[in-house]
Amino acid sequence: MSALPSDPVVSDTTATSDALRESAGRERREKLVRFLTDWQGVTGLLLVVIFFASAIFAPWIAPYDPNAMDIPARMSGPTWAHIAGTDQLGRDTFSRILHGGRVALYIAAIGVSASLSIGLVLGMIAGYGPRWLDNLLLLAFDAVRSFPAVILALATVALTGPSLTVVLAIVILTTIPSYGRVARTATLALRHTEFILAERSLGASTGRILFQHVMPNVIGPLLILAAMEVPVVVSIEAGLSFLGIGVLPPQASWGTILNEGYLVIRDAPWMVIAGGIPLILTTLGFTFLGEALRDIFDPRMGRGR
Amino acid sequence: MTLTNTTRRTFLTSAAALGAAGFFPGGVGMLRAQEGRVLNLRLDGDNSILDPGYMVGGTEIEAQKQCLPFLAEYVRDGDTFSWQPTAYVTRLEYVDDTHIEFELAPGLVWSGGHGTLKASDVAYSYARMKDSEWSGYFDALETVEVTGELTGTLVLNKPFAPFIMVTLCHGPGAIVCEAATEAAGGRFTTEFPAICGPYTYSATPGQRAVFEKNPEWTGPAPGFDRVVCHVITEVQAAELAYEAGEIDCTELGPDSLARYSKEMPENTAITTAGQLQYMWMGMNTQHPKLQDIKVRQAIQHAVDVDSILAGAFAGTSAKSHGIVCPGLLGARSDHGYTYDPAKARELMAESGVTGLELTLRTLNWQERLLTAQIIQANLAAIGITVNILPMESGPFWEMGMEEAGDTWQDLELWIMRFATVPDPYEATQWFISGQVGIWNWERWTDEEFDSLYDEGLSETDTAAREAIYVRMQEIMDATGAYVWINHEPETYAHKTSIEVVAAPSGELNYHRFKPV
Repeated sequence: MSALPSDPVVSDTTATSDALRESAGRERREKLVRFLTDWQGVTGLLLVVIFFASAIFAPWIAPYDPNAMDIPARMSGPTWAHIAGTDQLGRDTFSRILHGGRVALYIAAIGVSASLSIGLVLGMIAGYGPRWLDNLLLLAFDAVRSFPAVILALATVALTGPSLTVVLAIVILTTIPSYGRVARTATLALRHTEFILAERSLGASTGRILFQHVMPNVIGPLLILAAMEVPVVVSIEAGLSFLGIGVLPPQASWGTILNEGYLVIRDAPWMVIAGGIPLILTTLGFTFLGEALRDIFDPRMGRGR
Repeated sequence: MTLTNTTRRTFLTSAAALGAAGFFPGGVGMLRAQEGRVLNLRLDGDNSILDPGYMVGGTEIEAQKQCLPFLAEYVRDGDTFSWQPTAYVTRLEYVDDTHIEFELAPGLVWSGGHGTLKASDVAYSYARMKDSEWSGYFDALETVEVTGELTGTLVLNKPFAPFIMVTLCHGPGAIVCEAATEAAGGRFTTEFPAICGPYTYSATPGQRAVFEKNPEWTGPAPGFDRVVCHVITEVQAAELAYEAGEIDCTELGPDSLARYSKEMPENTAITTAGQLQYMWMGMNTQHPKLQDIKVRQAIQHAVDVDSILAGAFAGTSAKSHGIVCPGLLGARSDHGYTYDPAKARELMAESGVTGLELTLRTLNWQERLLTAQIIQANLAAIGITVNILPMESGPFWEMGMEEAGDTWQDLELWIMRFATVPDPYEATQWFISGQVGIWNWERWTDEEFDSLYDEGLSETDTAAREAIYVRMQEIMDATGAYVWINHEPETYAHKTSIEVVAAPSGELNYHRFKPV
């Protein structure tokens, strides 16, 4: 078959392709408009941007070194010099909150991406592999999910001592099953679709099928899930640090600020307030953003509007 | 099973009766009396070893005082403490410098059918203590001669006047039941093999220890029918519980003590037991990183203790100059090094050590963590990186003990606090050569220190005795293994409706609490 410009078949194909492209572009614009008109989505995005920006630029925007002590000024209330007051060692609480955000961001970024990657691979293997492997992986997912994160953390810390690495390991281990289960379900749905069967009949390897054909179709819901898991991960870190089994002194984290503030809540209530606000706003931000994205990309799972 | 049928009418009748009782002064009194029979207190952790020979101390001594016999007990005399015979004895007195005679009260019964309290139990208890982890308390004791079923003589190997105050009044002076202890294998942990005291003991780990009136006790009745000690690890959480009315008495942390001193909560009084605690940062002299004394001395000069007192203790505790607490014989007003970062840097340069990284272990308590962070900042200023390792009390108290594992080999720096009794001898006993690997975690030995320790036991001249304890602390300074921190007061906030009785080292004696 020749491919002349006047060829009606080619002309039809081009027209169809243009129409599809235009349709896709229209759909993207509609989704963007839907997102921008969703106040929760915009608020979430704004809070997430603030979270990222404050964490990334903390060394430049924090007014003081977060670990610099000024003992004569210990437990001072909020002033223009220290807008969130000072702690027991006279350290600037606002600067510690900004630097605490870096710990949260570090845990969220590494923890979520690692657990998403591992969960994705294990989920695809479970959904595409033999039945016995599926059952084994499901059992492993359920076993991990049924074990409370705090108990797991306490047991681990008893063996290794507290550290940020332990927190990260706990976060990754306890959130893998969420991604794994979603990836498995999506892979199972794709397993018998025509394009996968066609690839298999053409002799494509399992790896190629999984990573070139299944993964692009599975990753979308996982990314939405990841957005909603970020506040969970941040809360796990804050919770473990609050219990004294997270980051080590003098590193600031929102959990340690809350812990130190809780212990002097009657003498310096601003510490608990200042430590709690970023945790609440970050949780709200990621939750709003995740829900808005889910509504747009997966309306069946949405809030039923 | 008994079923109670509560009808609407009976419920309303009961509620009306209770309400009416509340309106009358007598009714209120009756309700308060009911309330007053239960005393709610705080435990800072589970009691893990109740055996006086192998205990950690603290609240374990409190439990022993309720359930085991003692020959003597502390009695407060204004700002000082002296001793008096307990209800377990009808006589306890020095007949000469080295002989203390006692006579037990008749008819005091051990639980579990183990018969009555006998002089042989005293002899058995103190003989086993001489071979225990707390043997230092019994160095001055030669033997216990049993002269009758209820009578005996404590024979000292040298004149040692503080023996009753130091040993018999304190936890190691507890008497155990020979028959029951032997039946339990010679040692015990979380349960008393037999009790003979005003209260029985039961505990739910992580939750509470409960002391109920002992039905077999024929001695003086305790002030409260039941004492419930709730496990609340953090002192600040205990303060919140106190302010919420959940407990009747709690130890106060430094910040709260400062706040209470300014503005006392309603119906609250403060009782200070004493300042018989000494805190320091220890260094393992045998650890490869700390073997060079210049490094240890640099650390001594680098730590700003005044900042620790202000930052971690809100200025509520006295600066320490050694293990002998203020007010005791041998207490010093200065020590052998000063806060001098320039000198510290000089010593580090002389040592040739660079890039030193050390681990500082501490209990996971707020004041300790704040102290650790100040030390961390101070040592960073002379080029030493300190990693803080917060620990739970169980592993913390075992980490320097050779018997408990290999952690002692990795020990570098730690923050430690011991409680003591009103005589300097007690504090020095933990640092003699025989205590290396037990409580001498700094792991140094010194012949002069050991011989001075023995001399201190038998010296009767006050000035000479004082000189001994001052010299012993100078030797400790010179090891470079200590940074003296403070002497915390043991301060309790309690309801004005109860009278609190505490040992000078802070242990509460529940059965001597009284409703006021």
